[in-house]
Amino acid sequence: MTLLAAITAPSGPVFEFFVLFAVILFGPIIFSRFRLPGLIGLVLGGFAIGAHGLGWISAGNHTVPELGHLGLLYLMFVAGLELDLQVLKDYRRAAVVLGLFAFAIPAAGGFLLGQALGWSTAASCLLGALASSHTLITYPMIRDAGLGSNPAVASAVGATVLTDTLALVALAVVSGSQTESGSGVRILVELAIGFVVLLVVGLILLPRAVDAAFRVWGSDRVGRYVVIIVALLFMAMLAQVFGIEGIVGAFFAGLALNRLVPNEGPSMERVEFFGAAVFVPVFLVSIGLLLDPSVMFTGETLKLALWICLVALGGKAIACWLAGLLLGFSRPERAVMFTLTAPQAAATLAVTLIGFEIGLFGTSVVNAVLVLILVSIVLSALLAERVIEWLPSRVVHRPPLGGKVLVVTTSTGPSDAAVRVATLLARPDGGHSEVMITRTPTDPAPDRSALRAVEKRIFRHGFDGHVRTDVVQLDDAVAKAILTTEPSLVIVDEPSFDASPAHVPVLVVHGVTPSPRAVRLIAAADDKNGVAAEVARRLARADSKLFRGRRRTDAEAAKR
Amino acid sequence: MPLAALLGAAALTLGACASDRSAAGSSFQPVRPGVLTVATAFLPAPGFWQGRPPTFGLEAGLAAALARRLGLHRVEVVQVPFAQLVRGKLHGADIALSQLTPTKERERSVDFTTAYLDAPPGVLARKGVEASDVHSLQGLRWVVSRLSTLTPIVTDRIRPSRPPVVVDDRSEALAVLRSGRADALLLDLPVALGLAHADWRFQVLGQLDGGEDLAGALPNGSSNGEVVDSAIRALQADGTIDQLVSRWLGKSEDDVPLILTEQ
Repeated sequence: MTLLAAITAPSGPVFEFFVLFAVILFGPIIFSRFRLPGLIGLVLGGFAIGAHGLGWISAGNHTVPELGHLGLLYLMFVAGLELDLQVLKDYRRAAVVLGLFAFAIPAAGGFLLGQALGWSTAASCLLGALASSHTLITYPMIRDAGLGSNPAVASAVGATVLTDTLALVALAVVSGSQTESGSGVRILVELAIGFVVLLVVGLILLPRAVDAAFRVWGSDRVGRYVVIIVALLFMAMLAQVFGIEGIVGAFFAGLALNRLVPNEGPSMERVEFFGAAVFVPVFLVSIGLLLDPSVMFTGETLKLALWICLVALGGKAIACWLAGLLLGFSRPERAVMFTLTAPQAAATLAVTLIGFEIGLFGTSVVNAVLVLILVSIVLSALLAERVIEWLPSRVVHRPPLGGKVLVVTTSTGPSDAAVRVATLLARPDGGHSEVMITRTPTDPAPDRSALRAVEKRIFRHGFDGHVRTDVVQLDDAVAKAILTTEPSLVIVDEPSFDASPAHVPVLVVHGVTPSPRAVRLIAAADDKNGVAAEVARRLARADSKLFRGRRRTDAEAAKR
Repeated sequence: MPLAALLGAAALTLGACASDRSAAGSSFQPVRPGVLTVATAFLPAPGFWQGRPPTFGLEAGLAAALARRLGLHRVEVVQVPFAQLVRGKLHGADIALSQLTPTKERERSVDFTTAYLDAPPGVLARKGVEASDVHSLQGLRWVVSRLSTLTPIVTDRIRPSRPPVVVDDRSEALAVLRSGRADALLLDLPVALGLAHADWRFQVLGQLDGGEDLAGALPNGSSNGEVVDSAIRALQADGTIDQLVSRWLGKSEDDVPLILTEQ
């Protein structure tokens, strides 16, 4: 009996972390069985363990909401990091038109709805921002169906940059007006200065600083990840200094590092891993803690949810229809734009949570928005399945020149020039590079320390990719890599290499510094001129920058 | 031109946003039109309710800020015994602000608002008493109140080497402390800070790990919960509550050293 009396119900931080991570594990698994998005499982799991559910995480708990806030910053950072800026550049006219329509129409609808409901101007503005943002949840479905390069799809992807940026600017203005003291003009000036600082730091200083940090600490995987996290938190903090919400700074940090952390590279793998495993799920669970069935399933909240759904989804439908009409897209193309711009998740949750924290939204609005998120995701996922059938023209997407650059080298490892050429060609496309070190059966196998030394050396040149080894002749390695790894460009670090042109261009590096004169192109006759011109343009642009360091590079090459 | 239009629109929006500060959702329904009626138990409560009439202090300031936020013209204070407040008898008040910590038992009688202050246990001691860890806390002479939710923390986590002096309520406990019959008393940290700030004979030795919050209480089933919660969050976001803490409690809770009681 004494022993049994000593056993107490579990409580405290360890128990709270246990239930939190149990929800993160089982929530998505259970809901995916019902073909529902995992994020719904996380939000409902948060409700289950929260004060309105089983009460395992009390209403006064600070740890989960604070971790959730970090998750929110992370979510917005990844949103900026993942955006394909090249697509925005390639389809800028269509993206700008759709982006403005997809922001302005739902935003106006949200604002008018707020006013009609008797809300304050600030709350109405925030409702507009909430309705205007969207998240590309259905994009993987559309891309996997071979529609990634469809102009309508590309325009919707590019428009997301503009739409979400404008929604976050609106959030910053509204939240600044509520949390800062002083006259409207003073607050506006402070916010304007803040945005200028964020733009200058985000577009100019931060990428350079992070690039320099990667070159110094980049060979250490942990160091590389921590540099990224420090950059994210620095920008969030910088935004807060100027009275702008931290998530705006986090989004700018994502845009700033967009080129330095390629979507397919190992750094992005790590960013996504920690985001998917910890930060983002914790944020979604913390949102679930706010879910209150006694509030959600009331006539008032459901009526509010219906109105918000009509404004947000109706606004997006009108925007896509009008923009599509103006840009000459077909009906199925307008439908695909709607399926991409309708889902409400990351930015919507961010705006809602900030609105809640600053007292502009009550729990009924939060619960109504959760209904909107559920409806928009389910609706757009179902519609996406249909739209894929309506758009039969599966255009074979040709990856950009620097999308995936493979450097093939002999057993001595890649030269500095080859690695720098790879980085210079990959970065403008947000692509990544990989190195394959080949050796003959008679060459000794490289030990871990030798490979580590190679990694350390090439990371100093801004390289972000995997280093692999293979027992194969150089000629065979190139042919095999083209067939199996589907690179966009192969760089061969052996001046004597020669081969017949294939469907993937091959660049032979024979100089010691990266310049148009130091490379020889092997490409099919039909696109040789285009590839050659692009390679020359990218290397020439870097040539002048590198000129200052050429003496050192030559010295290094001589050493090697 | 589009940039100018955008800036103009932003300025107009900002001006409009700054001019009204009420939240989305339902509006506040006061018991008496235009008046926020606030119930509190302890008058005066150093740092929280001071002056005659009681218009100074953290909770007095919070009541005034809430009234402004909710569009009401003035605040009226009614004194209600603490035991009645936690049983849901607010004597016609809209809200009780009386250094209340939400507990499951109390939640059956009142609807608690969102918390406006963290309230970990704080050790209030007479000036000159020294203790910086749990071992030195055990050596002090303690006074505890029968009604306080913090008494089990003294007996179970601090485990004083001598039996504590047991009294009925906080007023008696403070009298015992002033008289020198005890060295220390465990209170909600903001309450301890308020007392130490107002009375030179007291000091706060530290805060214990874990903790509760201070929240307002509304009559059970009140329709004002959402709008009051939103108003409290807004007052936290715009720094009003931080200003009140710094003015009436003297120092922030973050400046008080943490004393770990669980190894």
